[in-house]
Amino acid sequence: MSIKQQVMIGNFAIARGLVEAGIELAAAYPGTPSSEILPGIVEFKRMEKKNIHTEWSTNEKCALEVAFGAASMGKKSACFMKQVGLNVAFAPLLKVLEKPIDGGLVIVSCDDPGPQSSQTEQDTRLLASLFNIPVFDPASPQEAADIAFYALNYSFEHKKPVIIRSTHRVSHAREAIPLYPPGTRKVTLNEGISLHDVEDFKLSTIRYPLSAKLGVVASGMSYSLVYDVIQDLDVEQYVTIFKVLRVFPVEKSLIDFVEKMEKILVLEEPDQVVEALLGQGDKILGRANGYVPGEGEITYDIVRGIVGRIMTELGIGNKEFSPDQSIEEVIKELKIQPRPPKLCAGCPHRASFFAMKYAFPEAIFPGDIGCYTLGTAQGAVDTFLDMGSGVTFAEGFYDAFNQDGKLIPILASIGDSTFLHACLPPLYDAAEKEKKFVLVIMDNGTTAMTGMQPTPQTGVTVDGISTHSVKIEEIVKGFGISFVKIIDPYDVPLMIGTIKEAFEYLKQEKSKPAVIIARRACILLSKGGLKDALDSIDIEKDCTGCKSCVKSFDCPALPFNEETKKVKIDDGLCVKCGVCLYACPAQEKGKALKAGDWLLHRQLNT
Amino acid sequence: MKLEIVCVGVGGRGVLLASTILMETAIEAGYKAIASDEYGMSQRGGSVVSLIKIGDFASPLIGRENGDIILAFEESEFYKTLFYLKNGGTAIINTEKKSMPESVQRLLKKRNIRYFLIDADGIAAEKKMIQSANMAILGFFSALSCGPYTPDNIEKMITKKVPAKFLDKNRQVFQEGIEAGNRKL
Repeated sequence: MSIKQQVMIGNFAIARGLVEAGIELAAAYPGTPSSEILPGIVEFKRMEKKNIHTEWSTNEKCALEVAFGAASMGKKSACFMKQVGLNVAFAPLLKVLEKPIDGGLVIVSCDDPGPQSSQTEQDTRLLASLFNIPVFDPASPQEAADIAFYALNYSFEHKKPVIIRSTHRVSHAREAIPLYPPGTRKVTLNEGISLHDVEDFKLSTIRYPLSAKLGVVASGMSYSLVYDVIQDLDVEQYVTIFKVLRVFPVEKSLIDFVEKMEKILVLEEPDQVVEALLGQGDKILGRANGYVPGEGEITYDIVRGIVGRIMTELGIGNKEFSPDQSIEEVIKELKIQPRPPKLCAGCPHRASFFAMKYAFPEAIFPGDIGCYTLGTAQGAVDTFLDMGSGVTFAEGFYDAFNQDGKLIPILASIGDSTFLHACLPPLYDAAEKEKKFVLVIMDNGTTAMTGMQPTPQTGVTVDGISTHSVKIEEIVKGFGISFVKIIDPYDVPLMIGTIKEAFEYLKQEKSKPAVIIARRACILLSKGGLKDALDSIDIEKDCTGCKSCVKSFDCPALPFNEETKKVKIDDGLCVKCGVCLYACPAQEKGKALKAGDWLLHRQLNT
Repeated sequence: MKLEIVCVGVGGRGVLLASTILMETAIEAGYKAIASDEYGMSQRGGSVVSLIKIGDFASPLIGRENGDIILAFEESEFYKTLFYLKNGGTAIINTEKKSMPESVQRLLKKRNIRYFLIDADGIAAEKKMIQSANMAILGFFSALSCGPYTPDNIEKMITKKVPAKFLDKNRQVFQEGIEAGNRKL
């Protein structure tokens, strides 16, 4: 029978492996780069017609404990999260090895070397080694599928929880993955020495003579990189790679390998784990002695640089890559528009931030983790510590000023998914202690940054079934908070007025936090609904070139043209929300009359 | 055969769809392929870089000056990622301009880089499908018939990957791209 294959990202490959291994329950909280694993489980359970319970939990602790509980009752379970999400699940993680499980438990935690979309780099393997939980570190989507299959069966057989650590390069790389009928995948663990003329990996170092001068010990994506680099530099005869898949306990064969080689280069991400386990002998080249950079993603160029340098040092000859510097010399002379991350054109958060900054330019703006962290560009987010800190930092800031007898505007922002993930205890605390700040809950009806997962108030499950929907305003009122306003953030004048009204309310003696729910669907969900009359406004004619909108509005569809000294709308990106017109001082002064007319037109018609 | 392809542009303009089509065209033709995408934190309007490696590679990352081909869906993103292109590589750049800045022309000549400018946005806008400029670039690229990337092979994959209601227009833009390519070759 021929095996079909399907191109998919590493996260779907993990899901595929788990479904083939007979997973019965999967719970997760979305977080880049882990978010696509659970939707992958849903896709493959439908394809294979399997009865698998799948759920978006409200946070990672819930996800891990639900999976742990089901595993205790004999089910094959798994939970998925990003590396900083694992911190939220730290308490149950401490205990997973102590309590017996009857089923299987796989914890997938995705690290973010760089970091690309996290507050910090963090190595899941360190936590795993701290608690002695076996951890697998796959090097490609194909291997991730195999390892997921293997790990769930291993956990079930040994009644031990297992961690799969992926990184964003593995989770988001795309590869063709074979789709085996459930239960039939044959997995060989690719670890140990890989010789280019031999198909299989061998754990034994005795079977093959080692003439190479450099041994490379590599795990995860670093293995794949060094595999390509030694071919690229044509140094295969001088280098032998030992691929680490199970990070600890350290294989005896790895110790043997390290002993036999003249020099050992350790490549792993994002922290020193294998290197630390191997000890710090003179022959080890790694992060400790500066051969490998201490932070950031290990890229192709970094690996090529390190291997080239070591070849020179070992007297093998000049294999070093020398970059053509003239490329940078020419490019830096061109005026290239930098493209920092921005909220999408038409994003309702942008409108909220504009109103917040406009109402109280000098306020303190505690922010949170989500798309809306990007409010920093509009000067309307000052802090973002972790999920929930939008509320807790606002509390601490209030307390600090209050103690000195001052009341200053504190405008906090959080998202709707974050509200339920981590903001309930803090907001209750703030209400009970009558802490006075304005909290804008940016309710766009989705977990947008991680890929549009539903939230509790959407009332839709990961399977797409409509269910119980939670109203944020009812929870807020339930805490005893009386100032609760629900506003469409596109109505910028009303937002500004309400924020000012909220601060007036806070001056009252018994006031509690003032909550504004800025409710409008994410622009990625409401695409196409805004085609309107913005075309009738000749932005380029009216523009005075003051750049005020560039600073206060920061819209990717509104670039400033340095040649004409005016903004130019990018038709490919603009969604015609028209909110930028509020950010135009010319419009305020009555110069852009057409713009004002259009806004009036829209207000009358929506 | 080994081929390293870099697709660059801005989010929301079909870079990833084009890259998917290229990757799966190669797989359909029997090659091993692996790809990696970078789109940072922004959903739309940010830089997007998609790397595709065809042949015996383990990693999806492309080294500086190792790329065989750059397909640039936006001009300034081409400059930012030019370091990927090897000496003797090929570039196709979406721009309404008729020529590159002189300093860039000299650089490309020195590095033996074959490059083509195509007004893909213009072609797509003519068909009232501004979002389909990616198809014009794919069409142009297919005119080079590089490895598995013949017009037929790519068009077959477009038919599989583009939603039915947009397919007709997309194929028209793709055809225009091929013709633009044939005119320049």
